[in-house]
Order: sequence, then structure tokens, then C-alpha cells
Amino acid sequence: MNAPIIDPLQGDFPEVIEEYLEHGVMKCIAFNRRGTLLAAGCSDGSCVIWDFETRGIAKELRDKDCVAAITSVCWSKYGHRILVSSADKSLTLWDVVKEERIARTTLPQTPLQARLHPGSSTPSICLACPFSSAPMIVDMNTGNTTVLPVSISDTGNGVVPPSRNRFSDGSAPFSPTAACFNKYGDLVYVGNSKGELLIVDHKNVLICGIVPVPGNAVIKNMVFSRNGQYLLTNSNDRTIRIYENLLPLKGGLKFLEESNHAGDEQDGFEKLKAVGSRCLALFREFQDSITKVHWKAPCFSGDGEWVIGGSASKGEHKIYIWDKAGHLVKILEGPKEALIDLAWHPVHPIVVSVSLTGLVYIWAKDYTENWSAFAPDFKELEENEEYVEREDEFDLMPETEKVKESDVDEDEEIDIMGVEKDSAFSDSDMSQGEICFLPADPSPDVPEPQDKFVGSNSKQGDSNQSVSALSEEAGQSGRLTSHISTPLEVGVSAI
Amino acid sequence: MANNGNPTQAYRPYSLKKILTNHTRAVSCVKFSKNGKLFASASLDKTLSVWSSETLTKLFSLTGHSDGISDLAWSSDSTYICSASDDRTLRIWDARSAECVKTLKGHSDIVFCVNFNPQSNLIVSGSFDDTVRIWDVKTGKSLHIIRAHAMPVTSVHFNRDGSLIVSGSHDGSCKIWDASTGALLKTLIDDKVPAVSFAKFSPNGKFILVATLDNTLLWNYSTGKFLKIYSGHKNRVYCIASTFSVTSEKYIVSGSEDHCIYLWDLQGKNLVQKLDGHTDTVVSVTCHPTENMIVSAALDNDRSVRVWVQH
Repeated sequence: MNAPIIDPLQGDFPEVIEEYLEHGVMKCIAFNRRGTLLAAGCSDGSCVIWDFETRGIAKELRDKDCVAAITSVCWSKYGHRILVSSADKSLTLWDVVKEERIARTTLPQTPLQARLHPGSSTPSICLACPFSSAPMIVDMNTGNTTVLPVSISDTGNGVVPPSRNRFSDGSAPFSPTAACFNKYGDLVYVGNSKGELLIVDHKNVLICGIVPVPGNAVIKNMVFSRNGQYLLTNSNDRTIRIYENLLPLKGGLKFLEESNHAGDEQDGFEKLKAVGSRCLALFREFQDSITKVHWKAPCFSGDGEWVIGGSASKGEHKIYIWDKAGHLVKILEGPKEALIDLAWHPVHPIVVSVSLTGLVYIWAKDYTENWSAFAPDFKELEENEEYVEREDEFDLMPETEKVKESDVDEDEEIDIMGVEKDSAFSDSDMSQGEICFLPADPSPDVPEPQDKFVGSNSKQGDSNQSVSALSEEAGQSGRLTSHISTPLEVGVSAI
Repeated sequence: MANNGNPTQAYRPYSLKKILTNHTRAVSCVKFSKNGKLFASASLDKTLSVWSSETLTKLFSLTGHSDGISDLAWSSDSTYICSASDDRTLRIWDARSAECVKTLKGHSDIVFCVNFNPQSNLIVSGSFDDTVRIWDVKTGKSLHIIRAHAMPVTSVHFNRDGSLIVSGSHDGSCKIWDASTGALLKTLIDDKVPAVSFAKFSPNGKFILVATLDNTLLWNYSTGKFLKIYSGHKNRVYCIASTFSVTSEKYIVSGSEDHCIYLWDLQGKNLVQKLDGHTDTVVSVTCHPTENMIVSAALDNDRSVRVWVQH
């Protein structure tokens, strides 16, 4: 698409690298729901949680059983849990606040991507896409895996017996597949190597609909926008496609079942295609017809207005930004290191990209001071306005100055307590106790060698006791370490 | 004494419950913890005292600063206290163990005011060196150093979601800053006189309460217009902290240089009560988050912390 690049001054998207984060070699990233925390999986098997506001490390999840590189990281909906998949074929589920491992499962194959069920606040079901076999639903509590169907042709009616492990009988060839949950997790959308999009009811292991993707190329990635209204597919024919989700967001499965019975097409492939056409409609296609570059880690912006994709060409760190209408608005270019992962902040116009060297770059708008901020009665104009002076403006004693009254109603009721709901998070039932931030415990000052003396312990309730303080530099005592939840090694965020 | 402005409900006056004398010099600040169980007082005698709200007895002192303390702030989970001192440093204390956990160095002059953000991973401080600094609680590093004003900064406060900071200064201006970038977003007042002695956001973050050395006003900061004026008290010299009382009816509470505490009805602006008893300027007042309790602190001639409750 050779559409002209629209004026980069408009639009809410990032422009320059603001900062980079460094901690070991990071491989994949994920924001929590509000974008206050960024989880990063590292090559040594640990998962680091960054406080995105201070750009410092809030927590580090480290498991001695897992030392192989992390391939993907995923937050639960309200931030209580994190699921990591690793190159040693394992999936680990963590409790974020307690920093404890809840469960660990080993799969027959290395999972390239693992996604927690988005419908619950403490999910234990997840969707894992292994390296070269069909995606599966894994129950982290029991370790049970349910393989999802990736093709209708071998069974004829779309039903796969749940106990059959397709890989063990050696019949399935290398068939990379991509899969993702829809917004509330009642359906799984699977993209197979024949370029077909399958809509699967994962509870009953049933293919409900099929959408053939034009080009029939292997589908590499699939992701929904945050509001669940658009689905993005990244195919081997170097094209990113956006589909509009025609199903209702809540109760999509029920709607499908009803429309299944309602339709009068014959059974089989044609029926499934008809159902599929009622679920997804092709909206846009993005490709770079000049360089014909393969795309890596494409995703939506937080509000779904923008689509970004990284160039998969080696040795370059390029991020393409399109608006939903299909116009390329910007190409962000970073240092000459291959790009391996990409994420758009859920709320702000900030993009985070991971390079092959393990650094995480934060892209943000280039901030310029607003001149009207410096004086209270400055007003910024969009364009030149013709100023018409008052009749008496240049009089020595202008009439209007004599009548000076405030046009403010001083008796108006003011509400100092009411708060409006944040429209960006429309479906938040805040009673869930969403984790927006992790408590920051100050790491104690390193004690200096000179004048270090330990203060006497004070007991609460004993009003006459006063603590003789430690000197200015010393800050450590045995009692303090029990409060500190992070290791004393302080995370470095370099500017 | 009482000027009843609300005809539908009789105003229940506050009265003195207890006088707490502990400090050996002027008390500069009192603040309740966010859970209301404790309150802390800071003094020019270089110490802080932490008191139980229930028993009104002192639990312990925090010592370590080498000069007087002007301001203190509680973290949102009521575990940490941060104090701003004339010794140019800020200290973070653990209120459970009564120990100093961290010292924040960087200001080149007296640190006058301090506050945590609601997430309590950042601290904002204002100093006589004319700058506002944003600190990372975990590491103690300055994330932003803002050349905010042309004269000492008297007051700094985060809004409800921690995205904005309001600062007031002796140079007469009151400014609003973006907390994540440190950039100036708006200037509210720009007159050189009078000095802005105090500024804070309303609980919902939509309004700013500003005190100047001749009056107290309540502003709507998005339109830049003042909405209400509260007057009758005396405030010409000191940076007296005022606050919102929201536990029953809505009031504005402020100390005064005539040794009294003034309570105004928020909407009607009329004075509903004047609490007297202190023997010097009442420089700080704080309201309990859920109960109808006010604690006040006064300067050198008085040195006491007084607790007032509504009957």
C-alpha cells in the first residue's frame, strides 16, 4: 500500500525513544491491564516486573527449577497472576503479590506462547501454542491438556476426540499454529497452516466456524484488540489483516450456537464457512509492497485506533504504525538490533519494544512545553484570529474597567468528593481488587563504616520509650530485612 | 462563636478533648495516617512523634534529623512516614519498626514540604532552593528535578491518581506539573504578591485549595477561575496548612495567626466555628479520615498538639 504518510504532528502515537530498561537479557514483555506494571521474561528463566512509573524493578519472580529462556509472559485480567512459558517446555503460574509459584506443568513441546483465560481474576486455565503442534488448553491445577482441533479435513465434521494426542501417532507434520482467546474467553480463535481461521468452542472441543484467510498462507500471530472488537492476523504472505468481530462481546458462544441451529445450510465445511462469515468480516490489510517485509509481533494500540508491527528483517529495529483506515502514519527506527517483541501501553501513547540484545526500549511522544502553561491568562490559538478592540480600549479612563465583577457564581455547589468512572476501563468491576501497583518498600541505605550504632527496639504502646536513632548513613538492622520483599540488588534503569 | 449556616441540620460543635505536650519546640505539622489509626507530629526540636488515635498517647519518637522538621507525609498503606527537614534532607521512616529506612539527599537548601503519591512509589518535595524534586521511594534517587519557582516552594501535593502535582511558592505563583515527565502544565496564579503559602488538591482531584498570605481561596483549576473565598482568619506570615473535612458535612478547616482554628462551610463559605485554646499561631490542622476528629499543632509559645472532637 503506497498510501501517503499522514502528518505525523497529528495523532496520539509515540515518536522517539525516551528511555531504555536494562536487566539481564529480556526476551518478551507484557503490560498489566492499566499499564502501571511491565512484566519481562528473561533468558535466564526469571520474570522481572518493572514499575512503569518509576522505571525501576518492583519484583523479580525466580524459580530454581526453571533456568531456560522465557518464551512468553501473560498477566491475568486484574494483575493477580502471571503465566510464563519457557524453552524447557514448562509453564509456570505465579502469584504476583506473594511472589509464590502456584503451579508448574511440563508439556511435550516447548510452548512458544501461553495465554491465561481472560474471563476470570484467578484463572488456572490457559491456552498454550507449542512449537510445532496444535494449540492446547492446559489446566494448571491438574496438569490436564486438551488439544484443540486445527483442521476439519481429517475428521470430516470438526469434532476431535479429546483423548487423542495428535503428535504421538506421528501423523501430524510440522504445522505451526497461532491461537488466542476472545475477550471473555468463551471462544478460542485458531489460525492454521492452511491459512484458515477456526472458531473453536474450547470447552466442548468443537469447531464452530471457519474463515478462510485470503492468500492461504500460514498464520503466524493472532491477537484481539483490547475492546475485543477487532482481530489481527499476521500471515506468512507478509500481510497483516484486521477482521471485525461480528459476534457480541459477552455471550459470543451462545450466539454462535443459536445461529448454528438457525441456519439452513447443509452440514459440513460449507456450513462452518457460513457460520464463520457471520463471526468475522475482513476489514483491512496492511503490507509494505515495496520492501515486502515480514512482520513480527503486530498488535493494536490500547484504544484500538492504531496498529503496529515490527519489521522481522534482521539487523533493523523498525516499527510501523498504521491508523485503522490503513494509512501508514509513522515508521519508528531504533538502533541496529533486531526486534523480537512489541507492546503498546494500554492507556498512554507509549510503545515498548524488545531488541535482540535484551534491552527494552520505551518510545514516547516528543514532549514540548506548552507556552500557555506559563501564564494563567494565556490562551493558545489554533490559527491567527483577528482582534477587534473594544470601543474604549485606548481611552485614558475606560468605562469597562470601572465595572469589575467576577462572572463566577460564588454560591454554586461544589462537589469535592465525586469521581467519574474512567471510560477507558468500561468493564472494570473494581470490587475485584485489581492490582494496579506493587507496594514500594524503600531499600535500606547502605551503612557507612563510621559512627554506626544500633538503636534500641521500641515497642508499640509503650509510650515512654524513645528510639535513639541510627546515624544519618546507617539504616540497617536485622528487623528491617523482613519487611523488604525484593532482593537487595537494586534494578537498574538507565536513561 | 458558632454561626450556624445550615438551617436543615444543627451544627454540632467541636470541643477540646485532649492537649498533648511532648515537643520541646514549635510543632510544625500534624498528619493522620490514611487508615486513621495513628497520627504523627513534626517539630523544630528535630523529632517526630507518633501517637495512637484511639488512646491519644504517644507511641514512639523518630529521631535522626540534625535540624528542625517542617513537614511530614504518610504513605497510603500507613507504613512509611517521610519527613522534610531544615538539614536539607528527607527521611523515610518505617512506622512499624520506628526506624529510619532511607535518607534522601539532593536539595541544596531547607526542605519545606513533602508528600507521597497515592501509589506511594514516588515522593514529591519542595525546598527553599526553589526546586521541586520527585523521588523514587524504592531507590531514593531523584527521578525529576524541576526548577519550579523563583522563590522558596511552600507546598507540594499529588492529585488523586498521582498524575499531577500542584506546587505553591513565595514568588506568588501556583503551578501544576505532569508527574511522569516533570513538565509544566498550567500556571494558576501569577501575581507576585501575595505569596502562596499552601496548595492542595480536593479529594476528587478536581479543585485546588490555595492559601495566600491574605486569604484562602478554592479554585477550579481547569477553568482557572476561583470559585469560593474563605476569610476571617489571619494569615500574613506563616505557611499555615488547611484541609477539607468530609466526614460529616463538608468544611474547610484552617489554622490562624490569632491562635484559633477556623471552620467554614464549604458551600456557603460562612464561618461555622472558631476553636480557641492554643497560645500561639496554629500552623497545621489535620482531619481524621473517617471520624469527626481534628488535630492541631501550634508554634513555639504553645508547643502543644490538641485533639478536638465533635459531640
